[in-house]
Amino acid sequence: MNDPWKEARAAYEQTPIPQELEFAVASAVRAGSRRRNRRRAIHRSLTAALASCACFVLLVNASPTFAQAVSNVPVLGSLARVFTVTEYTIEDREHLIDVRLPALDMEGDTDLEQRINTEIQARIDQVLQEAEDRARETKAAFVATGGDPDEFMPIIISVDYEIKCQNDQYLSFIITKTETLASAYSEYYAYNIDLQAGKELTLKDVLGPDYMEVANEAVREGIAQRAQDPDNVYFEPGEGGFESIDEDQTFYLNQAGNAVVVFEKYEIAPGYMGMQEFEIPLPASVS
Amino acid sequence: MDQTTHQRLTAYIVAHQEDFYRLAYSYVKNRDAALDVVQESIVKALSKSDSLRNPDFLKTWFYRILLNESMNYYRQNRRLVSLEDGGLPETAAPQGDHAARLDLYAAIDRLDPKEQTVIRLRFFQDMKLEEIAQVTETNLNTVKSRLYKSLRRLRELTGEEYSYE
Repeated sequence: MNDPWKEARAAYEQTPIPQELEFAVASAVRAGSRRRNRRRAIHRSLTAALASCACFVLLVNASPTFAQAVSNVPVLGSLARVFTVTEYTIEDREHLIDVRLPALDMEGDTDLEQRINTEIQARIDQVLQEAEDRARETKAAFVATGGDPDEFMPIIISVDYEIKCQNDQYLSFIITKTETLASAYSEYYAYNIDLQAGKELTLKDVLGPDYMEVANEAVREGIAQRAQDPDNVYFEPGEGGFESIDEDQTFYLNQAGNAVVVFEKYEIAPGYMGMQEFEIPLPASVS
Repeated sequence: MDQTTHQRLTAYIVAHQEDFYRLAYSYVKNRDAALDVVQESIVKALSKSDSLRNPDFLKTWFYRILLNESMNYYRQNRRLVSLEDGGLPETAAPQGDHAARLDLYAAIDRLDPKEQTVIRLRFFQDMKLEEIAQVTETNLNTVKSRLYKSLRRLRELTGEEYSYE
């Protein structure tokens, strides 16, 4: 027992294994296999290009949202969670791309999980593909009009996510894509899941059959309130301003469980107002 | 045919995940970072599993990816903590019997990363020197000389004699 190697090895083997390991491995196995399948299907896929020039940057504790996401992941006992599948950064002459891609893991309900994960993956792939095309076009135009290729400003894209609500009943998270060329433009994709029912939530589920009226009322009120500040300007109804929410209006649930509808920049107000969010209090009849 | 390679690789990864985690942890010394390194390595390995022609090399092939990822992280972070590093080495000299027990284990961290790799793969993962050569993409003689040099350094650091086997 006095063999120092044995003891060193024992110390090594006592490295505590986190409970998340098995889960992390399983999700990485899935992500890796999926990526391989995709790679085989589309020979010259973006991912292949990414993999060859990607420099993997691990930002574990650097990003506050990531820290928050981690702290939101309960180790055991919860029905579902959102976690980071891959995180990568690409830097080359045309683009600076920063992606933190989430995926969903649900106990039992693998169909819904798979559908949402596939959709996220497809959406992000498409977004990145489009961005790559756009960067190439922009650069070609820049060079064709006499620009020095070395001075081309790379297109900056970042994809990130944020968990808005997580409890035993609901899971709500949004994915943000921000593209910066001359000015920044963001897009939001929201995912709201009823864990008990095992399906995606609609505004109607949250606010009841009169959801349109309820939401419209709340948004109008919100606009009226904010417009009292002369710095806040909204487009007038009829001139591109707010009239009604869409049937598939983007929304998420906040920590209180209330629906928050989201309007993208320019949608109901001038660009400097940015993205507009309105919390819709739950109507008494439903709660 | 290559379906089975992919399946074998997957099964191998799942079965040995704790070994991978420990090895990654021994470099990055941080739980979350080690989890990330393991995940990243798995994703890379599985998505490139088609480039693994001979499934007999599956183990060394995967360890190579895992070590590359670990080293990348280690290098990036060492730059960030280099000030602390500079102050450390002399402080933890052998301190009597009680400390001696952990000394060898702690001393391994003082070796340079390539030496750490040889020592850990040999003594903690029971790899043959030929396998270590494949993992590190060096020839057998280099591995041997690194091993002897590492053992010498460990002897200097701990004041104890270590024989190879």
